[in-house]
Amino acid sequence: MIETLGYFATSWLDPSLLVLTALGTFAGIYIGAIPGLSVTMAASILISFTFKWDVNEALALIGGVYVGGVYGGARTAILLNIPGAPSAIATAIDGYPLARKGLAGEAIGLSTVMSVIGGLIGVLALAVAAPLIADFAIKFTSRDYMLLGIIGILLVGTLSGESFAKGAFAGALGVMIGMVGLDPMTAETRFTYGSINLMGGIPFVVAMIGFFGVAEALAQLEHISTAPIKQKVSRIVPAWSDVRRYLVLGLKSSGLGTLIGALPGTGGDIAALLAYDHAKRSTKNPEVPFGEGAKEGLIAPETANNAAVGGAFVPMLTLGIPGDAVTAIIIGALYIHGLKPGPLLLTDTPHLFWFIVGNLTLANLFLLVFGLTGIRIFTKVVECPRAILIPLIIILSAVGAYAIQNNPVHITWALAFGVIGYVLKRYGFQVGPIILGVILGPMIDANYRRAMIGAREDIGSFLFDLISHPISFLLTSALVFMFVTQIPFVKRRIRRA
Amino acid sequence: MPNTEMKTPDTLRPGERLFALLLVLFAGYAFWESYRISGLDGLTTGGVLPMLASAVMLVTGLVILSETLRKPRADDSGISGLVAYLLPLRVVLFTALVAVYVAVIPVLGFLPASGGLLFIAIWALWRKGPLRSMAISLLSVGVIYLLFRVVFQVVLPMGSLWQ
Repeated sequence: MIETLGYFATSWLDPSLLVLTALGTFAGIYIGAIPGLSVTMAASILISFTFKWDVNEALALIGGVYVGGVYGGARTAILLNIPGAPSAIATAIDGYPLARKGLAGEAIGLSTVMSVIGGLIGVLALAVAAPLIADFAIKFTSRDYMLLGIIGILLVGTLSGESFAKGAFAGALGVMIGMVGLDPMTAETRFTYGSINLMGGIPFVVAMIGFFGVAEALAQLEHISTAPIKQKVSRIVPAWSDVRRYLVLGLKSSGLGTLIGALPGTGGDIAALLAYDHAKRSTKNPEVPFGEGAKEGLIAPETANNAAVGGAFVPMLTLGIPGDAVTAIIIGALYIHGLKPGPLLLTDTPHLFWFIVGNLTLANLFLLVFGLTGIRIFTKVVECPRAILIPLIIILSAVGAYAIQNNPVHITWALAFGVIGYVLKRYGFQVGPIILGVILGPMIDANYRRAMIGAREDIGSFLFDLISHPISFLLTSALVFMFVTQIPFVKRRIRRA
Repeated sequence: MPNTEMKTPDTLRPGERLFALLLVLFAGYAFWESYRISGLDGLTTGGVLPMLASAVMLVTGLVILSETLRKPRADDSGISGLVAYLLPLRVVLFTALVAVYVAVIPVLGFLPASGGLLFIAIWALWRKGPLRSMAISLLSVGVIYLLFRVVFQVVLPMGSLWQ
């Protein structure tokens, strides 16, 4: 117990980790708030700079950026009606009308306190649920991991995109990118076309920087001349009576957010939208109608999206399946540091698990401090024109792509992935499943081959194994369910029901 | 009320059908390349997962194409529509500028090349005059150098003319 507490408090007691967590949270608020910058973009670029650092230092910084970034989007949603991040889309619905009524400061203060409550509940759920799930997940075999990997990619594709087919296409494309290079089992070349650079494979950080950084920068060119509408900010610290009044709704939304966040492929944006929807249905007599500045409509999404952060870490740390795009990047950071997220992470490296729990808790406390202060400087910074931000994103992406192996070719690859990502985004494809495919593709490949060797290369035995073992059966059923519910006839029946 | 269900636009985007067809062709090529890795030699060879993944791409590509066939044909559905939709002049020029930037890094070195890109891009996109653009570019390059080279100790790409 004392040992666990020691691990938990690592980042609280080590001055450099304390500063990095604070710095990450502070920077995250701005990154999440500035339209054009995103947490996924920042985290993917940060990995390339921090891979030589101690793992705790890297995680302290990236964890802080994640917590701060999810919250930061709300500030611009309230002040400018521009959600800085997808998780703040629902926040703008009632947050901006509140600001137009001259209550911007109150709205920011309330959203800050509720975000912190949501964030802490999410972390508590991580601390309680992860060890239980990890104990269960030790029973998983190679075929189960293969199935989990496929489900993870498909879930990200189906829940966040325009259509199942587009999500699956993007995920499969990611798997193909992840296959480039020498086959680790047989040393056969795959898609290398005689290039020495390709033989080493495509580092997923380069793909991430391209798909999240460069592609987003190109997409932002469209909105270059959008001018934000400024709001005046009054008192920020919320009244205690307000916090107490909305606490029950905050707790309910936190629970919902944690659950949604824990589902692979969902994340803060879906959690926030569902929590908003739930608040709208369950609030009988709001003081102000929803959409016109109801505080319930501000609180529900804000608690839920921050609670989803802790939730998203649960499948990532216990099963090795990221809960959302940012945890997909953090999983990459763990791989880079030689760690293998999965059920054994908790037994082999409990210090790391409790460090993450302690660090996320600390980041939430920093969020409270930074969230309730410095609003005047903040309003100036978020007005930074996209015309300056976009070229800066390109420069940062170039440094990030180069830094991972000091290879200038990687800058070209990041640019190429950026152009591909931009084109795909224009036609309604999500880039999240591509990145998950790149990261999980090699894992699926290795586990598929292990499972097939275990079945003595007999396809009948392999398929029988998928339905004859309880866990495999459950996962296969989930996969089949995902496909069946996409059949047009079934979809129509579900909609009617 | 927010809706988290997947939404597909009712009308085609310009050039969407042609784009879907290109995806199918690309997926077919990817499948052929995957088959060439180890053919059908066994179920645990290096080519199996690439073949499965590219088969998924091919099938889903066909589904996407069929979805576009069900929607009414857009006026600008051909190559011209695709080019106009995908490649607005601003995106083309900016991408070309970035391509030039990537090409000149090995010659000029990272910092001068980045300064050049920032200056040209900010000047062209912001339209607040060359002096302000120059000042912001120099300041940004200075901050990038301090942050990455001095604080993070990241090795920045060097050029043959300026190291």
